[in-house]
Amino acid sequence: MRKIYLFCDAGMSTSLLVKKMQDVAEKHNLSVKIEAFPFVKAHAIITEERPDCILLGPQVRFLLNEMQEKYKDLGMPIEVINPVDYGVMNGENVLKFAIKLIKENEKNK
Amino acid sequence: MQRFMDSLEKLLMPLAEKIGKNKYLIAIRDGFLISSPLLIIGSFFLLVANFPIPGWNDFLAKFFGEGWATKLMQPVRATFDVMTILAVLGIGYSLGRQLDVDAIASSAIALVAFFILTPFITNFTPNDMEVVYEVKSIPLKWVGSNGLFVGMITALTSVLLFAKIVKKGWIIKMPEGVPPTVAKSFAALIPSGIVMVVFFIVKTLFEFTSYGNVHEIIYTYLQAPLTSLGNTLPAMVIAYIFLHLFWFFGINGSSVVGAVYNPILRVLSAENLAAFQAGLPIPNIITGTFQDMFATFGGAGSTLSLIVAMLYICKSKRIKELGKLSLLPGIFGINEPIIFGLPIMLNPIMLIPFMLVPTINIIIAYFAMSLGIVPLTNGVSVPWTTPLVFSGFLVSGIRGAILQIILFIIGVFIYIPFIKIVDRQYLKEEDRLQSEDSGDISFDSLDF
Repeated sequence: MRKIYLFCDAGMSTSLLVKKMQDVAEKHNLSVKIEAFPFVKAHAIITEERPDCILLGPQVRFLLNEMQEKYKDLGMPIEVINPVDYGVMNGENVLKFAIKLIKENEKNK
Repeated sequence: MQRFMDSLEKLLMPLAEKIGKNKYLIAIRDGFLISSPLLIIGSFFLLVANFPIPGWNDFLAKFFGEGWATKLMQPVRATFDVMTILAVLGIGYSLGRQLDVDAIASSAIALVAFFILTPFITNFTPNDMEVVYEVKSIPLKWVGSNGLFVGMITALTSVLLFAKIVKKGWIIKMPEGVPPTVAKSFAALIPSGIVMVVFFIVKTLFEFTSYGNVHEIIYTYLQAPLTSLGNTLPAMVIAYIFLHLFWFFGINGSSVVGAVYNPILRVLSAENLAAFQAGLPIPNIITGTFQDMFATFGGAGSTLSLIVAMLYICKSKRIKELGKLSLLPGIFGINEPIIFGLPIMLNPIMLIPFMLVPTINIIIAYFAMSLGIVPLTNGVSVPWTTPLVFSGFLVSGIRGAILQIILFIIGVFIYIPFIKIVDRQYLKEEDRLQSEDSGDISFDSLDF
């Protein structure tokens, strides 16, 4: 089971995207756990649950550098979701993006 | 134009980063999250007691007897009249968590520090007498909205100090042979002890001033000037221009600007609620409720108006699909799909109505209230996700609901010419064939 966690301000609009991503994952029988959280909870959740991939909503993209730096040692990929995919809530594209990140990350290990 | 936008982004991004990551502003914002649901429920009791329908009072009096409304006030008092205590607890907890110290302990030390600064005296003048008695009590005057700024400042400073001392690891040296657990229990006393002594000294120093306590000074020189500045039309309009500029660059402007502006708006709402509760004339036009219920519909940019324009006017598949997708979230005030999907972000055509519609909403609503056409917001805490018409009715009665509908329709007409331009662009693009994304992968070839 891979964990893909999304963070935005209140976790509201990302939860909409999560729903779409889950639908795609279910359709293809992928064993992934996708969840959305407000970013104030990020630290506790990331250090405790060690997700395999972290995606940020484009509206909090200014957090990217700091988070990549902070969790470098934990070794999970952290990226910002493409704004257009985010906007049209394209669950398939975002899920593919996350899976690609996980695969690349595991190859580099 | 491009160069102008680049330099504007260079100016706004670091600002958003500073505010968006500021521990203290986050602590304040999150701290209030703890009390919001309680204030909302408290509000409902007030609404039931003062429902904006003529004859409501007499109707219920038939069933529950005279004076039923007064009985319903206790849940209101238990939330609004002690809102600063709730805020102190919440802010202390949230900052403690961010600074990696025991959050409950932080919450408690913040409350104690606040109480040290608060004079435990209520002035009481009996009827027909001129003598003022000092009654020993926790004064409701300062634990409600009047003490909010002292509460915020105290919670932040006390927990910061507490965390600094905890991290320094100061302990009391115990002689050999004292069990370690006993030594630890003494160690836990030091951070709290220092915080309490420091706040006691602060309190004592303020007693030498002519104001007598911290509350009077902060209220007079900080809270009152800031709230009366916040309660002006230009303040609201300028705040909203900034808020929308942030969103235009794809940054959550509501959260950035709100971090600074919302505490002030909260006080203004609470003042209205206190007047509403007491049956006095309502003082403030600009409030948190005004912002949530009249400035925008469907999220920043008042994009619910835009969605309707998209669904009825536009012909391109992309806009029609996006309109359908965004309608339901939009009704509840969520509009990221529109901002990133249309997009409004970095789209100069859409910037004009995106900023214009909320500005017009604010100005019209302001004058509708200042001219007495629509009642001022009663300060009742309605969730910002409440759909329009309902929300307007709950805070300003039937006229509030009508004002919302009028503003919403004006918004649709302002958006139409602009969305038509975007629609024509997309129609042309759709006529051309799109090339397939080359970085595609298939889910079926995955092995996990």
